[in-house]
Order: sequence, then C-alpha cells, then structure tokens
Amino acid sequence: MADEQVAAKVSRDSGVWLVIKKRWRAWLRAFHRDFGYLAIGFTVIYAVSGIAQNHIEDWGDVSYRNYEQTKTIKAIPDELPDDQAIAIVTGMVDFGKPSSSFRAGDEIRLEYANGSKVTVIGEQVTIQGRERRAFIGVANWLHTARNKKGWKYVADAFAILLLYLAISGIFMIKGKLGLKGRGAVLISIGVAVPIAAVMLSGPDARKAKAEPVETAKPAENDNGIKFLPPEEPEPPPTKVEPEAAKPTEPAEMKPVDPDKPAPCDPFGSMHGCKK
Amino acid sequence: MTKDAPDLDRYPELREKWDRRNFIKSAAAGTALMAVGGALFRIAADDLTKQARAEKRADGRQRLPPGQRVIEYLRPMGGQEGDGDAKTFKLKVHGLVKKPFEVDYAGLLKLPQVTKEADVHCVTGWSMIAGAWKGVQVSKLAEIAEMKGEAKHVIFESAHGFTANAPLKEALADNALITYRLNGKPFALQHGAPVRGLVPDLYFWKSAKWITGVRFVKDDVPGYWEVRGYHNHADPWKEERYG
Repeated sequence: MADEQVAAKVSRDSGVWLVIKKRWRAWLRAFHRDFGYLAIGFTVIYAVSGIAQNHIEDWGDVSYRNYEQTKTIKAIPDELPDDQAIAIVTGMVDFGKPSSSFRAGDEIRLEYANGSKVTVIGEQVTIQGRERRAFIGVANWLHTARNKKGWKYVADAFAILLLYLAISGIFMIKGKLGLKGRGAVLISIGVAVPIAAVMLSGPDARKAKAEPVETAKPAENDNGIKFLPPEEPEPPPTKVEPEAAKPTEPAEMKPVDPDKPAPCDPFGSMHGCKK
Repeated sequence: MTKDAPDLDRYPELREKWDRRNFIKSAAAGTALMAVGGALFRIAADDLTKQARAEKRADGRQRLPPGQRVIEYLRPMGGQEGDGDAKTFKLKVHGLVKKPFEVDYAGLLKLPQVTKEADVHCVTGWSMIAGAWKGVQVSKLAEIAEMKGEAKHVIFESAHGFTANAPLKEALADNALITYRLNGKPFALQHGAPVRGLVPDLYFWKSAKWITGVRFVKDDVPGYWEVRGYHNHADPWKEERYG
C-alpha cells in the first residue's frame, strides 16, 4: 500500500471521521426523537384536519357546528313594500346589516357575512347558521396555508421536518438485513400505493370531456319562467354499468371532477359498499 | 394463584406486564359490555321505529322499509354544497321536452304549490317519517315544459355536477317534488338549501340537494352514486342499496 493510501486510511479511521462513522446512526436517532417531539403538535393538527378534508364530501365541513332557532313574530303584511319589509326584519333580528336580502312569495330572506341566514315565513322566523368548532375548526383553517402570511413558512418548516423523519427512519436502526429485508418491502409498498392510485385513477386517467353550455337568451314571462330554445336530440344511449369507474356525464353539464374518488370512495366505504 | 399464573413475587419484572395484560382485558370486557348494553338500550327505547314498523302505507307496503330505523331529524350526510342562495337560484327544466325553461326562486314560488307528507329513507339505515314537504311537483314541471312521450327517466342535476337518476314512475309520482320547505322551515345549507329534489319512494340520495336542473331523458344515465356502486333504482322496500 502506498504511503499516501495508508495516510488516508489512518486519517479516515481516526478523529472526527471515526466518530462520525461510529455515531451517525445514534445521532440520527437522537435528532429523530427530538424532531419527533417538535412535530407532534403539527402532526395532530395536519392528520386530524387531513381526515376531515378527505371526507368533506361525506361529512360536510366539520369546521362548523350548524344551529337553527325559530321565533314567532307578528306577520309582515304582504302589501308592505319589499324594502320596508326587509328593514323591519333586519331590525328585529338585530344581526347588523345583511350582506344580501331577498323577498319572494311569502318569504323574506336575509343573509349575513358570517353565513347566518334568516328566513321569515308568515309569523315564523328561522335563523340558521354555523359556529366554528373549537379544535377541528382551527385545525382545518391551519391546514390550508393559503393567505396566512407567516404560517406558510411554519408549514414549510414542518414539511421539512417530516421529510427528515421519513428519511432518517430508514437508516436509524440498521437491523439484521439493513434495507434488504422487511425495510425494502415496506418502502416498496409505500411508494407503489400512490403510483398505482395515479395510474388507475389519477388526473390523466379520467379526463372528462366538457361540451359548451348553451348560451341562447330566452324570453321571460310574467311567472319568472324563461322558456329556452329546444334542445338537440339526446346523445346515443349509455350502457348502464353501475360499477364503471368513469361516470357518464350529461352532455350539457360541467364535467364531474376527475379527481373525485374511484368507484368505491370513502362515502361508499362508510356505507359498507362493495369493492 | 392459579397454576398457570407466574409467581409475581419471585419475578417482579413480570408484575408490570401481568398487570397491564389484566388491565387491557378488563378494559376490553368493559367496553364490549357497554357497547352491547348501549345497543340493547337503543333497540329497546326506539319506540318510533317500532310504531312505524307496525304501520302500513296506502299501497299496502310496510311504512318502514326493511333495515331502517326512525330518527326525528334529517341527518346531514355531506356532499359538495351549493351556494345556498335563493337570490341566485335557477332551476333548468330541459331534455326531452317541447318547451325547456328556466325558473328562479321567486318564479318557483309562483308555480302551483303542494305540501305532501312523506317519509324519507337513507341508504345508511335511517328514516325520517311524516315530514311536511312543500314545493312544486316534478309532474307539474313536466307539464309546463310539455315533456315528450319518449321520455322514460328523469335526471336530477345539482351543484358541482352531481346527478341522480330516477324512472318516470317514481320521479313523476304525486309525492315527488322540487321542494324548498320542510315542516314549515327553509332547508339549512347542509340539507340542500335553497331548493332540493324529493323522490321519497326511492332511497334518499335520489332526492338531490342543491338542485339546479331536471332533465327528461329516454335512456337511463346513472348518476353520481349509481356509478359508484349504489343501486341504479334504489327501492327501499326491496333493499336495493348496492348495484
């Protein structure tokens, strides 16, 4: 062995290099543990709100608790002009200035910026609204970092922490077979599942075709009915295939979101639907 | 001490594990007992369901379809909500009709109104009975639009592209409505405000929330849930839950 090679080997096997070589897994573990502590709060927020976001089509927006109250009032005369009738109701409920008001038939409807709705039907006032739930309400709010200034950088830092936790987890305990045994199998499964999902039902697998919507301007009659020009004949019949992955879309509607869940989605699973 | 149990005094390191095992067993047994007790209490106390099971409909069928239990209020079942605003509401009636039309909320309220008592049955197993639903019969819309003779199915169209299909028999039944009021109150947003469909003789997912259109077609077009494994027809009395 040449002198230079020997010198290099001695250098590698001594001092800092030797310490790194012997201790790097222990350091990974130590950082993994400490970063794990740091990530607990974030993980709970993102995991719980992530489940809620995944199931928003099934459960609605769980950020809010819906409420409804009814009151009885003296009926507002039909002959009272709309603006006066709306002013009376606005004063009665005392929610401030409504963002929108509307009178139709025997109803007066007020809508407020906070989502509350007030509907007067005869002598009955129905107040419907929603309140933000304490934990899940803010967790959902935090989950989407849009328009939250500094929070997006905090969220970025958390994402980097998660990357560290994932990657360090691979190496922090060597095990008997290292990455050749169970580790390889589990990593492969973890990578294969999202790849398979994209291949089977990803955005490119289920592109929907949109057709232009009619733009003809029909005349309106006294009843508020607008008669429209006659439509084209129906498209050829579609075979009924309840299990088909791609929904048959009506020609004149917006396409169903291609990212919508595959045939048996979480709502179906909740009902115990067949796979 | 039983024959199989370890001598915990001689092996104190086992005591913790042994105690934990016993704790888990006890906790599991307690949980199971509470679950069974709760279920029995719920079954025993469910008078509304018992009463509905004992009643018959005018058509001779049992009032409560098999596998259903009665609850007192509509349960929110999710879905991608529409904007809920009566001011911007529009209903398009089209497809195989001679006079397709569009009507706004005020216009809908000017059409002939009916109030129908109807039971609704969710595929998840709950039913709400004896609701007073106010609105316009789908058959009246078909009449105004002059539905063509070759129409055989109705597609209820809703916000965000949701659709639900129903045969003419159920969709034009006397109790099938485009409805905006239940028991004298407007619908809350989670229940389809301002206007939803009502086809009470089919599972409740056919009663599309946040409705935007009624389309008459000759050939059936399975809707959102129907292409996702749910039954195309959805008769609660035949338990047509899944396709």
